[in-house]
Amino acid sequence: MTTENTISQKYVMGLFSDEDKAVSTIHELKQTDWKIHKVHTPIPSHKVFDALKLKSSRVGYFTLAGGILGFFLGLALAIFTALRWELIVQGKPIISLIPFFIVGFEFTILFSVFGNVIGLLTQAKLPEFKWADLYDPRCSGSHFGIVASCEPENAGALSAFFKEKGAEIRTFD
Amino acid sequence: MELTAENTLMIRKKKSKIILFLIIIGFGTFLAGLVVGSPERAWQSYLINFLLWSAIAQGALLFSAVMHTAKARWSGPLASIAESFSAFFPISFILFLLLYLGKDHVFPWIGEDLHGKEVWLNIPFLFSRDSAGLFILYGVGFAYLYYALGAKLHMIKPEGKFRTLLYKLWGNGKSDPERFKKGMSFFAVLYIMAFAVILSLIGFDLIMSMDPHWYSTLFGAYNFVKAFYIGLGAIIITAAFLHLNPNTRWQIESKQFHDIGKLFFAFCLVWADFFYCQLVVIWYANISEETTYVIQRTMLSPWRSLAWTVFVICFIAPFLILLKRSVKMQPRFMMVLCILVIFGIWLEHLLLLGPALNHHATTIPMGISDILITLGFLGLMVFAVSSYLKLFPEIETSGERKAA
Repeated sequence: MTTENTISQKYVMGLFSDEDKAVSTIHELKQTDWKIHKVHTPIPSHKVFDALKLKSSRVGYFTLAGGILGFFLGLALAIFTALRWELIVQGKPIISLIPFFIVGFEFTILFSVFGNVIGLLTQAKLPEFKWADLYDPRCSGSHFGIVASCEPENAGALSAFFKEKGAEIRTFD
Repeated sequence: MELTAENTLMIRKKKSKIILFLIIIGFGTFLAGLVVGSPERAWQSYLINFLLWSAIAQGALLFSAVMHTAKARWSGPLASIAESFSAFFPISFILFLLLYLGKDHVFPWIGEDLHGKEVWLNIPFLFSRDSAGLFILYGVGFAYLYYALGAKLHMIKPEGKFRTLLYKLWGNGKSDPERFKKGMSFFAVLYIMAFAVILSLIGFDLIMSMDPHWYSTLFGAYNFVKAFYIGLGAIIITAAFLHLNPNTRWQIESKQFHDIGKLFFAFCLVWADFFYCQLVVIWYANISEETTYVIQRTMLSPWRSLAWTVFVICFIAPFLILLKRSVKMQPRFMMVLCILVIFGIWLEHLLLLGPALNHHATTIPMGISDILITLGFLGLMVFAVSSYLKLFPEIETSGERKAA
């Protein structure tokens, strides 16, 4: 949810206790020149996600790639280990795909999870050490915090805009 | 306004003509097969279609029962559509009774030495237990439907005999809705249990018994999971049809298509999983009594190609396609995919029954007559569902049509 970061900008946070008010403020902010920098929500709110019109996440592709890779790795591992010690059991072939499929399946899940975690870390740019910079503890309680950026001289107008919408204001440098 | 009313009447008449035409074609082909062609083939086709279309109806109603039991909120309009498939229940029951006439062509074990299995596999016992089972399943299904419809429609206008009767039974529009919810919960759970038990029984008796010396204890579960899989497919087809048809008021959100698409995807996996669970156990044990069944169907000509076709159509293709999220939200595309899957399950029935009913077959016993008979059954299903929707036009308004 982070947009471009320029140094000379001033950040103003409007804190809303009402979800619908926060959503309508996001819609109206999009009409103005002010830029929405970040939105903190205490709950996963679909209304807020829809209002922000976020680009769809690419984490799924990491999961898919991990899954496909895992399936073949699992099969390869089973085949490789079977070939290292060619022991015929019950007259079954050395490379028998039907049971090896289970190994492939388990590796699909394991590597999907790995891919998913890697995807999350890279796409959400985690870990984030500066998370507390533009943050208010109330955003983890009951408030929606919309952080917008503006030129320093416009900070007053932006604060007035938030106040008009019924928000509490907090400014950051 | 009058013009559109006339138009819809015209469309209705045209539609019912097409349905009647389909039923006559199917029935005619079946009779012609009995008289001039080979009765074995006609009855084989009849059995496949009976199993397929009954499973669709049973599985579709299961969706509504499961959604109610799980207290789902997203599925209301879809559950209403799912309930319409129960109109096929009486037809299915009669079709099962008619199967008795073809018993000599359908059950290859009649007159065979069954080594003690004749206690279970004999015609009187088989038909009495299966018809009793279907009667219970459909009875419970209708009891559930009675309360489910009551919860929605107990304030309907009493027009016509049947609706007036229901209106009176539902307490003349003055009932407490909670009463219906309670009845729904009770019969939903009963239906779910009956579904598992009765469909297992049907699977054992009408599919597995064709090879009387082969058995798999998981076969019953495989059969009812399959029924739910194609039941969901049929709901998606109907929902997509109503959603895309500008003449109906019924419409749902793409989120709802996404959700039922996910469910369809999930049961695609469950179906394949049940298949694999049987396969891997048979493969490991490697007992010749068990393996012949699988070898004949998956490794020997002519069935081998059919087995791979079924596997690709019913698992590989839907699995790979449904991984993509946006696909599930395109009703047109999902309709095509679900039709393909149901066709695949038709072939799968042929794969399960065919080798037992056609010993020494050199080609897959499938021809134009099978397609025509299938069309006849399709006509029966469309007739059942559309007359239900005509009887309760309120169902069409259950979906929210929103201004685009």
